[in-house]
Amino acid sequence: MLRNAQAAYLVRESFAGFRRRKLTTGVTILIMGSALLVLAVLTLVTLNLGGMLEQARVGIDMRVFLAEGLPDDRVAALQPQLVVIPGVAQVTYISPETALHEFRASLGDDAELLELLDQNPLPPSYHLTLRPEARNLDAVQAVAREVGVWPEVEEIVFHQEWIDALETWTFRFQMASLLVGLVVFVAAVFVISNTVKLTMAASARVIQIQKLVGATNAFIRTPYLCEGMIQGLLAGALAMGVLLVAGRLLDGQLGGIVFFTPAQVGGFVVFCMLLGLVGSWAAMRKYLTLRSEI
Amino acid sequence: MSTTSPGAREHDLNAGPLEERGIIAFRHVDLVYKDQAALKDVSFTVANGEFLCLTGPSGAGKSSVLRLIAMDAFPTRGQVIVRGMLATKMSRRRIPRLRREIGFVFQDFRLLEDRNVYENVAFAQLVVGVPSHQIVRNVMRVLTNVGLWDKRHRLPRQLSGGEQQRVAIARAMVNSPKILLADEPTGNLDPVTAQEIIDLLFRINDAGTCVVFSTHDHGIVKTFGQRVIVVQGGRIASDVKRRVPVDRNASLADRMYRPGETATREPVHA
Repeated sequence: MLRNAQAAYLVRESFAGFRRRKLTTGVTILIMGSALLVLAVLTLVTLNLGGMLEQARVGIDMRVFLAEGLPDDRVAALQPQLVVIPGVAQVTYISPETALHEFRASLGDDAELLELLDQNPLPPSYHLTLRPEARNLDAVQAVAREVGVWPEVEEIVFHQEWIDALETWTFRFQMASLLVGLVVFVAAVFVISNTVKLTMAASARVIQIQKLVGATNAFIRTPYLCEGMIQGLLAGALAMGVLLVAGRLLDGQLGGIVFFTPAQVGGFVVFCMLLGLVGSWAAMRKYLTLRSEI
Repeated sequence: MSTTSPGAREHDLNAGPLEERGIIAFRHVDLVYKDQAALKDVSFTVANGEFLCLTGPSGAGKSSVLRLIAMDAFPTRGQVIVRGMLATKMSRRRIPRLRREIGFVFQDFRLLEDRNVYENVAFAQLVVGVPSHQIVRNVMRVLTNVGLWDKRHRLPRQLSGGEQQRVAIARAMVNSPKILLADEPTGNLDPVTAQEIIDLLFRINDAGTCVVFSTHDHGIVKTFGQRVIVVQGGRIASDVKRRVPVDRNASLADRMYRPGETATREPVHA
């Protein structure tokens, strides 16, 4: 049970490092901030690239071409059957006329060539939009297998190579993000732990005396853990601040870049506080054995 | 009363329950530190309120004995009992509590340089959770006892070596410990200041605190030692006690030049 004097002491000591060791604390926050800035930039790049890949996946769709000469009622009856297939989000009927119109538009100046045709050669079709979870090769193939056996279906078209390439790049990107993120994270923890060790080394005498007069480890540890958290908070805020200012300055040149939401900024700063806490804890272990090194 | 000797050791140390064996008891203690044998088969007891002088050359094992008493180290073999508590059976949580009953004084004072005299002493009370109003009272009491209340606002660097050591003693005593461990407390002091410090330790001892005083200075041992244990090569080489108690009121000159000093000693186990 903490007494008032002890509680006041612990609060005071949590901030004492900033007063007593201005230079060490300043350098610590600067180094931590730099490591965290690298981590924040990487996170931002990851978020943006991930968003771009997700955007590209929206383009994963299917076209189901129907046999020619099907009566209208049979064509219309397919729509409700297509909608209930797992993974299918939306079904749009494309009549031969609409298809020809689209084809003509896509030909541009060469559209005159279509005038040579006696009749519309394009069959009726359905355009299938897929749910986000089904925008991958396995799901697309599963839908194609199910629909492909229907007698009304002539052909199913989807861009397998494109999906393949997208999946490969997504996988590579995820692995690269994980690897770089891990390296930067370990480096950040290492830097934080070492900078906190500097603080601890400067306080070794105080800790030794505290142990000699019978202070418990919890009492000794608390101000340093709080100090580590405050340093993490300031370093995280510094990293976010630099990133925000840089973002503002480069606003015109980085068109389309998505910045962190306020919740993500808050989450990152809380993460930095926890990192400071873990770094302090790791750095303190050496000093909190029972030995007081008399 | 204290005791040691290869013959008498077993009998004395097993004479009764832990609390009756003295405030400190070592029983066949070995200590290996960094693959070096720091202590070998050390046995002795210290009675409540006793003033023990621990001497021997540097590296003989004096500090190891103090570390074992403070439970800053644990015996590789044998038993160390302090205030009835067996070192090897102590839970980690109990050690800070035990240390609150032990005061420490060092050769290099170990004061907090950025805190004044008052804060250095109050610090020892603060960490153990003494209420604020009692802290003021207790710090005033011990600083008055060591004659430094008037200098309570000074920083350690503004004090002489003797004054710094008195601050360290005040800090050690403010929690009213049962044992005071003084590791070469006069090592950095001139003879007159050293005498003042020893007189202060005598006064603390007179008030009932057991004092274990370590020094390699033969002059001090010869002049002030009441009971003297000589440690050599990690073993107890001798354990003797004066027949005639040290005259604590005599001047330094009287004590230092009184003839026939060695003849007044006898082995503790005799």
